[in-house]
Amino acid sequence: MNKTLLVAKHEFLATAANRAFVIITLIGPLLILALTVLPSVLATRGQTSAGSTLAVVGADEPTLAALAAALAPAKAIVASAADEGTARSGIASGRYAAALLLPGLWTEARTLTLLAKTGTDYAFYSRIEAVAAALSRDARAAASGIDPALVRRLLAGPGFDVVVPGKEAKGSGGGLDQYLGILFTVLAFVMLMYMTVLLYGQLIGRSVILEKSSKTVEFMLSSVSSRDLLAGKILGPGLAGLIQYAFWVAIALAGIGVLGPALHVSLPSTLTAGNLFWLVAFFVPAYFLYSSIYAALGAGAEDDQHLTQLALPLLVFLMLPLVLLNFFLSSPNSAISVICSFFPLTSPIVMLIRVLVSPPAWWQLALSYAILLASVWGAYRLAAKVFRVGILMTGKRRRLSEILRWASLK
Amino acid sequence: MYCVINYYRGDGGLRGGGRRGPAKQETKVLEARDVRKNFGDVHAVDGLSFTARPGEIFGLIGPNGAGKSTTIRMAMNIIAPDSGEILIRGRRLAEEDKAIVGYLPEERGLYRKSKVGDMLLYFAALKGCRAAQARESMDAWLERFGILDWKGRKIDELSKGMAQKVQFIAAVIHSPRLVLFDEPFAGLDPLSQDILLKAMLELRSEGVTLLFSTHIMEHAEKVCERILLVDRGREILSGSLAEVKASYGRNAVQIEYDGDAAFVEELPFVESVTRYPRWLEAQLRPGCDADELFRALAGRVKVRRFEVVAPSLHKIFTSLVGVPEEADHE
Repeated sequence: MNKTLLVAKHEFLATAANRAFVIITLIGPLLILALTVLPSVLATRGQTSAGSTLAVVGADEPTLAALAAALAPAKAIVASAADEGTARSGIASGRYAAALLLPGLWTEARTLTLLAKTGTDYAFYSRIEAVAAALSRDARAAASGIDPALVRRLLAGPGFDVVVPGKEAKGSGGGLDQYLGILFTVLAFVMLMYMTVLLYGQLIGRSVILEKSSKTVEFMLSSVSSRDLLAGKILGPGLAGLIQYAFWVAIALAGIGVLGPALHVSLPSTLTAGNLFWLVAFFVPAYFLYSSIYAALGAGAEDDQHLTQLALPLLVFLMLPLVLLNFFLSSPNSAISVICSFFPLTSPIVMLIRVLVSPPAWWQLALSYAILLASVWGAYRLAAKVFRVGILMTGKRRRLSEILRWASLK
Repeated sequence: MYCVINYYRGDGGLRGGGRRGPAKQETKVLEARDVRKNFGDVHAVDGLSFTARPGEIFGLIGPNGAGKSTTIRMAMNIIAPDSGEILIRGRRLAEEDKAIVGYLPEERGLYRKSKVGDMLLYFAALKGCRAAQARESMDAWLERFGILDWKGRKIDELSKGMAQKVQFIAAVIHSPRLVLFDEPFAGLDPLSQDILLKAMLELRSEGVTLLFSTHIMEHAEKVCERILLVDRGREILSGSLAEVKASYGRNAVQIEYDGDAAFVEELPFVESVTRYPRWLEAQLRPGCDADELFRALAGRVKVRRFEVVAPSLHKIFTSLVGVPEEADHE
C-alpha cells in the first residue's frame, strides 16, 4: 500500500476507533434537531407561559374576565390580588409569574406597571400588554361615543407574507416561519462546520505535536518522506470527518423524508438535499485548508498550549462568520458578504450562508470555490515546507513569524 | 521468520532482502565523503570520510557531542550535509531505498497509546514488509527478547527496558540489509545490553551491515570490526579494531586484585592508570617491563589476575581525546 495511505489508515483508526468519535457522531444529528426542529416543535406544541399565573391588582370583573379570555389560549391563569403588597409577596413566593397593577381609570393611563418574577419572559409580557392595550382602546372608544368594533376594524392593517420566489414555504404560516426556518438551518450548518473544522484542525495539530513529543518522528522519517507523513496525517482524520458528515446527512435526509412527516413536524424549507450537498461540498475544502495550516502550526509548536497560541489568528477568521451571522443573513449580497465569500479562510461558511439564504450568481460560486481549492493547494504546499523543518525542531517556543519563515528555506 | 523485501536498484538488478549474504559486487554499503555540517558557529561534523563494508559492524565512536548522531541523521537523509555526501549503496538515500535500511535513532520513542503488536506491524508496513511476513518476524523477535506475551499490551505499560527492545525490533523487523543504531544501549541495564549485543552479532552473521554509534568503548570493543573515532566532528583515528590496538603495542597490564592499589599511579614506570572497582588497567612507559610492575605489587595487594594486553579502546580513546566529561562506563 502507498505510504501516504498507510499513514492515513493509521491516523484514521486513531481518530475514529474511539468512544469520543462515536459520541460526537451521534450528538451531531441531535444538534441539528435541537437547532432546527426543536424551536418549531416548541412554537407549535408548547407555550412558555403555560400554567403561569398573572395576578391583577385593581381590576373590575369585566376586565378580569377579558384578560382571562385573552390569555386562555396561552394557558395562563388570571387571578385577582387584593393589593400591591399581596402581589409582591405572591411573586416572591413563586405563586404568580407576574402581577399587573391597574390604578383607577387605568384605561386613560399612558403607562402601566407589570411586576415580573424573571423579567425575561417577553412573550408572556407582550401578550398581557396587547390585551391591556386592546381593553384600553375599546374603553376609550366607547367613552368617546365610537363603536369599539369599528375602531378595531379601522386599525387592523394587513399582515405580510414574505415569499421568496421558488422557495414558497409549503403549508407554512408565512414569512416569519420561513425566516426562522432559514435561520435555524443556517445556524445548524454553520455551527456544524465551525465545530468540525476547528475540532479536526486541532486534532491534527496535536497529532503532529505528539509525533514530536513521543519522539517517533525520526523513526517515521526513516520510513516515509515528510510529505507522505503530512498527507497521511491530514487524509486519515479527513476520512473520519467525511464518514461523520455522511452519517449526519443520512440522518437529516431521513428526517426530511420520514421523521418530519411521521411526527407532523414542519421541517425548515431550507433543509433540503441540495443544501446538505453544499454543506459537505464546503466542509471538504474547509477541512483541508484549516488542517494543513494546523499541521504546519503543530510542527512549529512545542506543546498543546503553544499550538493554541499560534492558532489564535486562525481562530479569528473561523469565528468571524459566526460573529457576523446576523449581518450575512440580512445582507447576503452586500459588499462585505461578497468579499468574505471569496476570502478563503471565511468563504466556506460565508458562501454556504449565501447559498442557503439567497443563492449567488453561478460565477460567484464557481470563483469562490476555485479560490478555495487553489488556497487548499497553496496551504498544503506551505504546510509541507514548514512541516519538513518544524517536525525536527524541539526545545524552543518559536514565534509565528519564525515558523512561517521556514516555508522559504530550501 | 523474516520478511523478504524486493527492491529495485539503479544498476538494474532486483535484489532480495531477507537473510542473504552480501552481494558480491558490493564493497561499500555506506560511504561518507568529506561530510561537513555546521549548526551556526558549531562545526558538528567537520570533513568526515569513512566506509562501511558489507556484513561488518562499523563503530562510530566518540564522546557526547562528537557529531555521531548528526552523521547518522545525514546518512538517513533526515538532515542534509552542508557539503560532501553520504551514500548508501552508491547513492543518497532515496525513498525506495528506505525499505532496506533500518534505523534506531538516538531520539526514539513509541506511540504510547498503541499496542505493541499493532505498532510494530505499522512500522513494518511502512517499510514495505508484507503483513504475514511482518507478523512472523515480529513474533520471532518478541519471543527472542522474552516479551511475546506483551504483544497485545499498550506501550504505556512497558518498562523502559522493554520499550527499548520493542524499538530495536521496530528497526529490524523488516529484515534490512543495513542497520544504523544510534547509541542503542543508552539507559539499558547490563543484561539487556548483552541481549541486544548478541542480537547485533547474529544480524551480522546473517550478512547484515551494522553501523552503530556509541560513547561506551567497551561496547565498541565487543562487537566492532572497524571503527572511526571522532571528536568535535573530526576524525581522530580509524581502521580495524585489531590494527588500531596493535599500533599501540602490548604494553598495558590488566590486574584484578584485592586491597588498595592506589600506589600504582605513583610508580615511575607507569604512564597512566584507569581504575575500576576491583581491577585496573595500567599503561606502562615505553621500554618498561611488566615484571617490574608485578614485583611492585607483590606483598602489597592480593593479585587475582595479571595479564599483559594491548591497550583497551577506552585507554586509547582517553589518551587521544582526554577524559570525557561524562562517565564512559555504563
